[in-house]
Amino acid sequence: MTQRKQVHSPRRHLPLFSSPDPLRPIAFRMGRSISLAEVREDVGRFAASLPASRGFLVNLCEDRYLFLVAYCAAIARGWTNLLPPTRAQHVVDQVAGTHVGSFQCRDAAVVGALSGEPSDLAIPTEVGGDHVAMIGFTSGSTGVPQAFPKQCWSLAGATARSSAAIRARLSGRFGDARPWIVATVPPQHMYGLEMSILLPALGDMAVHCDRPMFPQDVAGALADVPEPRVLVTTPVHLRVLSESGIRFPDTALIMSATAPLDAGEAASAERAFHSTLLEIFGSTETCALAQRRTAIDEPWHLRQGAKLEPGEDGTVVEAPWLPGPVNLQDVIELVSEGQFRLRGRNSDLVEVAGKRASLGDLTRRLSSVPGVIDAAVIQLDPVSSGVRRIAALAVAPGLTAPQVLARLRNLIDPVFLPRPLILVASIPRNELGKLPRQSVIDALARVQREDDRH
Amino acid sequence: MPAPQTPAENELAELLVESLNLEDLRPEDIDPEGPLFGAGLGLDSIDALELALAISKRYGLQLRSDDDANRRIFASLRALAGHVQLHRAA
Repeated sequence: MTQRKQVHSPRRHLPLFSSPDPLRPIAFRMGRSISLAEVREDVGRFAASLPASRGFLVNLCEDRYLFLVAYCAAIARGWTNLLPPTRAQHVVDQVAGTHVGSFQCRDAAVVGALSGEPSDLAIPTEVGGDHVAMIGFTSGSTGVPQAFPKQCWSLAGATARSSAAIRARLSGRFGDARPWIVATVPPQHMYGLEMSILLPALGDMAVHCDRPMFPQDVAGALADVPEPRVLVTTPVHLRVLSESGIRFPDTALIMSATAPLDAGEAASAERAFHSTLLEIFGSTETCALAQRRTAIDEPWHLRQGAKLEPGEDGTVVEAPWLPGPVNLQDVIELVSEGQFRLRGRNSDLVEVAGKRASLGDLTRRLSSVPGVIDAAVIQLDPVSSGVRRIAALAVAPGLTAPQVLARLRNLIDPVFLPRPLILVASIPRNELGKLPRQSVIDALARVQREDDRH
Repeated sequence: MPAPQTPAENELAELLVESLNLEDLRPEDIDPEGPLFGAGLGLDSIDALELALAISKRYGLQLRSDDDANRRIFASLRALAGHVQLHRAA
């Protein structure tokens, strides 16, 4: 497979906030909307509290507004935001420890700075395009967490395409009206950052600063903001919202990412919110790359200018907002110009006894067994014989493991039958609905230990 | 020995075990005053969502987390049962 080297040169300077109208609303917090002019003032207050020497701001703010202020203040001062994949203290310390001159910033630090007088510090209207605005970290479902620095020009380019993709779905009903975003995901995750921080800062959308959790909270937050509303969430949340029976305010668009969604779940969500649901395909490496309307099983629509080169064990992505080609482990099939379908994930490609399968496909098959409501399939580390067995966790109330295996036997090649298959109460997903491989291994070990004791 | 549960607490404990598929746990073994999350039963935010959904279906009560009361409500089985009894649909 050949790789054309494609390097985009960052533009010299970019605006700190892309939409210059000082009166435009950018956020909704504590019962009122906040204008860009107010945000700039708050950015000035917090920026003045940062030491002049450049450093790294570990942005742990939970309040989305405080996150936004700290994020922009850091960039305005030539600092870089660090976004650890979880708030777990040992992970935060690890991230901070590998970046000299880092400052762990929580809500209270920003609140303290904002209570002061306006600062004299001049907040630049522009920043260097090549400045590293943030470093994202992968959540570890494919191995060890890894750092992904993003320069301002790259984030601006990705945000422009996200904005265009959202507006394309809204313009028919709402024309140029400003979309209001309500997000159930944290801003520290790349998806949450792009949709709930960058669209307001580098686009002209506005965001509700809460992170609503329960269905009633989500309904309340949506009711706080005008139409067109955009709900940014995850499959885990969507299922609970759809089943809650609550009447939600009309929501023009729902965005879902972080885990696959099936067409039925997407259709339920569309009904519950009188909405259109767009599933987002992206990664920390690439930012959002494509979207599709899952309820009607659309192929993925690549964002403008992006190109995919499918390979046997992965895909090379080139995009105008990426500094160079990125290798993704997703196996795709091009359907037509700018459209593709996912065929699994390469870290999912497993080989047992010379046969290959994808863990994604095995998981789908196990989940499709009648009586199985959730499942996770992994490949174990090699044992002394060198064989890497498939192991699985499944939630199947009322069934025994042999019953599930008997049904699964008809659906997959025997070499891929999980050994062991362990029935559990729930699959150990993290708060974003992702499933780190290690937590499956831990869950397997825990259940096996308990079995040994019996 | 955990403290004894009231009938309302026991009913909620059964709902909790059932809705979160905590098959290894008997409802009566949940300490009504012990923490549900973190170090206690080890529930997480996804469990909180599931539990809220089960409570809304059983009791017609929609939980909210828009203030600090939420931390108090989810602090223990006793606190949650008290909240449910106080606010459940008639």
